[in-house]
Amino acid sequence: METTIRGAKTFVDEVAAEPGGEKINECIQCGVCSGSCTTVEWWEHPPRKIIAMIRAGKREQVLSSTSAFNCVTCYLCTVRCPRGIKPAQLIHAVEAIAEREGYKPKTPTIKLFRSLRNAMRQGRVWELGMALRFYLTSNILYGLKDVPLALSLMRRGLMPIFPPKKVKGSREVAAIMDKVEAMQKAGGAQ
Amino acid sequence: MKYYTYYPGCAMETTGKPIQASIDAVSKVLNIELKELPDWTCCGCPGESINELMSVALATRNLALAEKTGLDMLVPCSCCYRNLVNAHVIFTEDRRIRDQVKEALAVVNIEYKGTARVRNLMDVFINDIGLDVIASKVQNKLSGLKVASYYGCHQSRPYGPDDFEFPEWQDQIAESLGATPVFFPLKAQCCGGAQLFSQRDMVHKLLYKILDDVERHGGQCLATTLCPLCFTNLDANQGRIKSRAGTRFEMPIIAVTQLMGVAFGLKPAELGLKKNISPVTKVLDPYLKVRA
Repeated sequence: METTIRGAKTFVDEVAAEPGGEKINECIQCGVCSGSCTTVEWWEHPPRKIIAMIRAGKREQVLSSTSAFNCVTCYLCTVRCPRGIKPAQLIHAVEAIAEREGYKPKTPTIKLFRSLRNAMRQGRVWELGMALRFYLTSNILYGLKDVPLALSLMRRGLMPIFPPKKVKGSREVAAIMDKVEAMQKAGGAQ
Repeated sequence: MKYYTYYPGCAMETTGKPIQASIDAVSKVLNIELKELPDWTCCGCPGESINELMSVALATRNLALAEKTGLDMLVPCSCCYRNLVNAHVIFTEDRRIRDQVKEALAVVNIEYKGTARVRNLMDVFINDIGLDVIASKVQNKLSGLKVASYYGCHQSRPYGPDDFEFPEWQDQIAESLGATPVFFPLKAQCCGGAQLFSQRDMVHKLLYKILDDVERHGGQCLATTLCPLCFTNLDANQGRIKSRAGTRFEMPIIAVTQLMGVAFGLKPAELGLKKNISPVTKVLDPYLKVRA
């Protein structure tokens, strides 16, 4: 059986409970989101189909697919959706569940986000550090192809070798992130 | 003089340096004073795809700081702009997330009342300064220059005040500088943003489509919005992408404030033009020489 029941919750209820997933039941399957999607050719299941699959209870298939992680968050689907569903946010709700439950998507995007989250903790993002962390944890050979690009940016002083100086706010940011994570772990949030 | 609280965003201090230089130079000419928001931090931008609450909380910290200044918050980077507006909308409309964000910010004694006004520079140029004032500052008319204005996605989607399918403000600015605006359908298409790290081939194809579209429609240069992600993506990567003719793209990528600076008669060094990777002097030389 594809339909997974966790407690009393079906998958569609689970998505509807996420921020951004609220309006999933209002979808009329018109396909404007898929037709508008900038990166649809890379999606295993286009956004309209993802919504249909969620409603059909195909939890495992949705969360393990690469699809959601190909979203570049350009909001074309969202501004065009005739039902005001905000498909980009709905797709992010799917990404959030997959990330929390440790699904390993075939695209390395999730690792990029983790590196980015670490970079954010410093208060301001240091791109070189973020990129190095990302490539070291995903694919070093793939990262080597970006060396000429990094060098041409460095030559112009556009890619600092050292992290930015710490601002007072970096401590506050770390405290806020810790608090949010604690709230989410406690189940009080989301 | 018009005063704003300025939120540069992380990338403006690194890859966005040329844009920042031109924003500073052009602001002086237009009597805009940008007071950098003290102690600003990362807006939380691409984080919303895997953790919306975290992203909103980080953005709201900055909104709360800006609120205290009582000035409009001016944000050049499209990603920061969209994320800060998004956080403000969620904070004011979604009670559940608002309560959670309040709880998280209380840990560091920060409170957001919900009154910050987040604005982008095109909005300020058009609505606070005005096209006639911009035109009156022009020293070197950019006559004959065919400018394709690229907006990217987040400046006008989902909340931006300009049209979300075919925004026009940058074209209007280019026209007031004496240039000829070139329409191309992908003007608000996404450049792929930060996915460049994780999905290089996908982003290269998106960039190819944009550059090819500009070429087909006869643009001599591409004027980007002030987003450092769009700018660097297009400026630094085109050497790696083959055009339809099988050769490298050689499209000059110029931030719209750099273009304004050239028309205002400012020097290339003031506008950061020497840091652009794409061949910008080729098309700008005739206009830069007028003054020298």
